[in-house]
Amino acid sequence: MTWYHKIGAELFEPDREQTPGELIFFKLFEAFIVFYTIKFVWEWGIYSQIRNMEVVLPLGIANYFDVSLFFDYNLALINAALITLLIVIAFFRMGPRWLYMVIILLFHLQYVIRFSQGEIPHSQNLIGMSVFCLAIGAIFFPGQKQMPRFVMGSIIFFIGLGYTSAFFAKLIGTGINWYDGRHLWLWISEKSIDILSREGVYNPNLLQQMALGSTAVASIILLIGWLTEFIGFTMWWKKLRPYTVTLLIGMHFGITLTMNIRFDAFVIQLILVGYPWYRVIDTYLKTTPEMIKRWA
Amino acid sequence: MISMEITATKKGIRVIGIILLVYALLVATHEGEFWPFSIYPMFSQAGNPWTRAMVLDVTDQSEELIWEKHSLENRQWPPVPVREYGVDQIDFSNFISKTEHWTEPRKAALNNMFGSYPKDGMKWMTVKVHGQLIGKDSVAVEIVPWLLVTEDGVFENPNLDSSLYIGGGGQ
Repeated sequence: MTWYHKIGAELFEPDREQTPGELIFFKLFEAFIVFYTIKFVWEWGIYSQIRNMEVVLPLGIANYFDVSLFFDYNLALINAALITLLIVIAFFRMGPRWLYMVIILLFHLQYVIRFSQGEIPHSQNLIGMSVFCLAIGAIFFPGQKQMPRFVMGSIIFFIGLGYTSAFFAKLIGTGINWYDGRHLWLWISEKSIDILSREGVYNPNLLQQMALGSTAVASIILLIGWLTEFIGFTMWWKKLRPYTVTLLIGMHFGITLTMNIRFDAFVIQLILVGYPWYRVIDTYLKTTPEMIKRWA
Repeated sequence: MISMEITATKKGIRVIGIILLVYALLVATHEGEFWPFSIYPMFSQAGNPWTRAMVLDVTDQSEELIWEKHSLENRQWPPVPVREYGVDQIDFSNFISKTEHWTEPRKAALNNMFGSYPKDGMKWMTVKVHGQLIGKDSVAVEIVPWLLVTEDGVFENPNLDSSLYIGGGGQ
């Protein structure tokens, strides 16, 4: 067995039997993705319709045509409605296998319409990546036997890769001194302006005060976060996964406390994929409900 | 019942490999971002000076004073909480700091951002806020009055070189 097949075995667990708990959990997880997709596309659509006037920064496919067309005629809202309709059909497995692929394309379009104003947020990436994995799973691994395993395994792969690549992006972008505590001072002061502007008032919390009071404390905070990112890929191994994910969740709380950046959907998704919830369901349910089988 | 056989697992890894290839190609050709694919570059460049923006309420203040640069510690005018006006702070900040050519449509877009505000004689000063490391142990934050927004229009800072509003977004 080659090293990448070993990783495949850790991600897809071919030796583990499918249980009612796995199918039920997968459907609940998919419902979570559907909920956030609908939430995001409507939030982005409404904002674009009301606020967006000109394209300041074209992202993704917005590099190839002028998405400002979607700022008017309710087109961003129509796109949101279309995504909502299609994803509900896809959730209940009533459409063709490629439906999720259409959804991810429209979802990408909605993102580049909304975020054409200069900001490049990443807090919705995991939801987008999950829809993408659902799209690939539905086409290449259809059916209740394979789709849940492929989708969950591939999502775990890309989450782990994302954190570890973020570590290297910092190493390449800045160098080994990335964790210099004064860098955290700059970010805290930058975020403090955003909060002052947004709320009209800003008061540093205890952790921020400690970081601002000592370069050593600030450096330790950055170093812990950076090393946690590095070990992101270790979540590919099922035995390490709960520990790695717990550390990553802790890191996100740290980011929230030091830089006031919240990643709600990210953290909920980490909680969902990081632990074997199917075992909890299996202790209560011994058979798979018919409707879950139908929608699997 | 076995759920995903060894052959399917191998296919799974192969499919992930192909996705990775597409992923790499797309982010490589789109400056690291092709949503939802990303190299997650946020915070990758540490230690650089930053520029943000905010709005200060300068209603009834002396015309001479409102255009003066000053430090954050010496800020005299209260900030306008942009969220109360339905404005996304990050968008607003990027709009102010990344716009290089302040054309009339851009100024109109700024005016439109706050809906019917400012009104009733209100004067709102959009300011650029610059932060940078000074020496070994401090961060200096400077406020530069940038565009005054009133019911009558949007006005540039007369103390700044007008070329800064045409291609000089770095200020």
